[in-house]
Amino acid sequence: MVALARKTLIYEWRRFLPAVLAVGFAGLLQLLQAALVLGIFGGAAVYITGSSGNLWVGYPGTQSVDQGRGISPDVATLLYMQPEVTRVEPFLWVDGDWRGGGTGGVSVFVSGIDPGPHGLMFAHALSPSLRERLREPDAVIVDRADLDKLGVGIGGSASINGHRVHVVGVASGLRALGGVNVVASLDTARRLDSDPSDVGRPTYLVARLRDPKQAAQIARTLNGRHGFGPYRVWTAKHFARRTMLFWLFDTGAGAGVLFLAGIVFLVGAVITSQALAAAVIGSIREYATLNALGVGVRALRWVILEEALWVGALGLAGAAILGSLLILLARREDVPVVLNLPVTLACVFLVLALAVVSGLGSMRSLRRADPATLLR
Amino acid sequence: MNTVTSPSLEARHVCKSFRAGRIVSTVLDDLSLHVDAGELTLICGPSGCGKSTLLSILSGLQPADSGHVHALGESLDDMDKRALERFRLLHTGFVFQGFNLFPALTAFEQVALPLGYLGLKRDIVRARARTALDEVGLGPRMHLRPAELSGGEKQRVAIARALAKEPALLFADEPTSSLDAANGQMVIDMLHRIARRHGTTVLCVSHDPRLIGHADRLLTMEDGHILEDRRPSATDTVHPISGASR
Repeated sequence: MVALARKTLIYEWRRFLPAVLAVGFAGLLQLLQAALVLGIFGGAAVYITGSSGNLWVGYPGTQSVDQGRGISPDVATLLYMQPEVTRVEPFLWVDGDWRGGGTGGVSVFVSGIDPGPHGLMFAHALSPSLRERLREPDAVIVDRADLDKLGVGIGGSASINGHRVHVVGVASGLRALGGVNVVASLDTARRLDSDPSDVGRPTYLVARLRDPKQAAQIARTLNGRHGFGPYRVWTAKHFARRTMLFWLFDTGAGAGVLFLAGIVFLVGAVITSQALAAAVIGSIREYATLNALGVGVRALRWVILEEALWVGALGLAGAAILGSLLILLARREDVPVVLNLPVTLACVFLVLALAVVSGLGSMRSLRRADPATLLR
Repeated sequence: MNTVTSPSLEARHVCKSFRAGRIVSTVLDDLSLHVDAGELTLICGPSGCGKSTLLSILSGLQPADSGHVHALGESLDDMDKRALERFRLLHTGFVFQGFNLFPALTAFEQVALPLGYLGLKRDIVRARARTALDEVGLGPRMHLRPAELSGGEKQRVAIARALAKEPALLFADEPTSSLDAANGQMVIDMLHRIARRHGTTVLCVSHDPRLIGHADRLLTMEDGHILEDRRPSATDTVHPISGASR
């Protein structure tokens, strides 16, 4: 079979270029938007994703990691009773008011963590040597992208909730949503916590398992126990997802993102189908001749659908190349962008769906391919 | 002529009119005729006489308002759109005034394209396309695109595209109108030869008087009727047709 769609696309590439560009840019927008959403809202769960704990224990009903309430430290005993649990450590969340550096007040989230070399919290974000520096009293670490916002440099001092702290190092991948993350040792964090009801109570307990695959099963088992006060166990994956979805949907931002994705899809489909329809109209007499020769309208529709899919594939290739470059650039500039396989595949699917929808839209112009008109 | 028992094309009492707003114009008025295989039948007449409409009805491109059309013994009246497409795919070839070639395809691909839809094997498609292009004298130029071909060559590609299907019915609408004298002569000779060599029913519509001498049979139309039916290459006398409208 002569590859009519492909050959036409190559020979008349100028005619199809607007459609390819429309699909490509729509794809690029979807891809970057998805990467930004994952990056920004994924940042809400950085405490979980940046740590190596497999189970998180917090107050029942906690919707997002930043909304924890203190739980009984005795739950740690319950955790240790599970043979699969190899390590348990407390995580202290303290809301703080940062003063200093001439920046006025900055709302900060202080994470009190175990600074030991095998500590679970922020195991992926902080190197052992950096953690070691947290042992020093009143030492804190911040994200390097937040230094300007906090008005300090490494070695600089400020105060949190009226207590003096000094910045002993910077890390990357600690940026928070809606505030600034400050990492301190558990001891330092306790000193910064001004709420008397929190005394001696960790916000979360984080546990590591011998076999992380058992996490869901063990969480279920632990959630069935009583007698240690109110607590709830989540797997790290579940809790990170819960946090991200909370930020995505309960803040209204998610609806905005979905709305924008819909608009991008619609605009892309309209432009692409118009460009494809123009290409079809350009060859309408040839299509009509084929129909006169007995090539069915259905077969002609396939040709147009094939053209649309090629346009989609080319647009997608362009979007992938440009998108990768932009994502690399964004990462270099500390812009939070993250892409994972399911979301990337969803974007690919969306772009191809856009191409197919546009192809279907442009098929209406085939109605003009009436061979009887060739005779008048 | 009327002794032929089964003409390959037959129209009986065909009427067709078009409506433009409140004005209804009758294009074909109770027209009957039959066309035989193995000859080139030319329908001549002034613009708007209904000759192209007659061609489109006889070839199954559009239905008549009333009357009956039979092609190769099958009634086109009873066929739906898909059945008509199938009939045209299997049995008909078309040559139009405009060559209607895909700019992206070479001459060889233009001819091979419809054959692919016939479900033929690749080797057969290739062989048929080559043979058809050879027959119209374009074998050496089969790898050129329309932009690299002259008007006459493009029309020959269009003829090869129709011919390669090995159709029993070949319809040509003003095939020489866009061509100079030499190319027009070549094209009509080709159509004539196809009728003789392949036994094809070739029905050609034209107002080009140069073609008259090349036709086996000449039908002259005016105002939706056939005025005259004669064989110019023979005794040049008028043969009234059976069942003709007047």
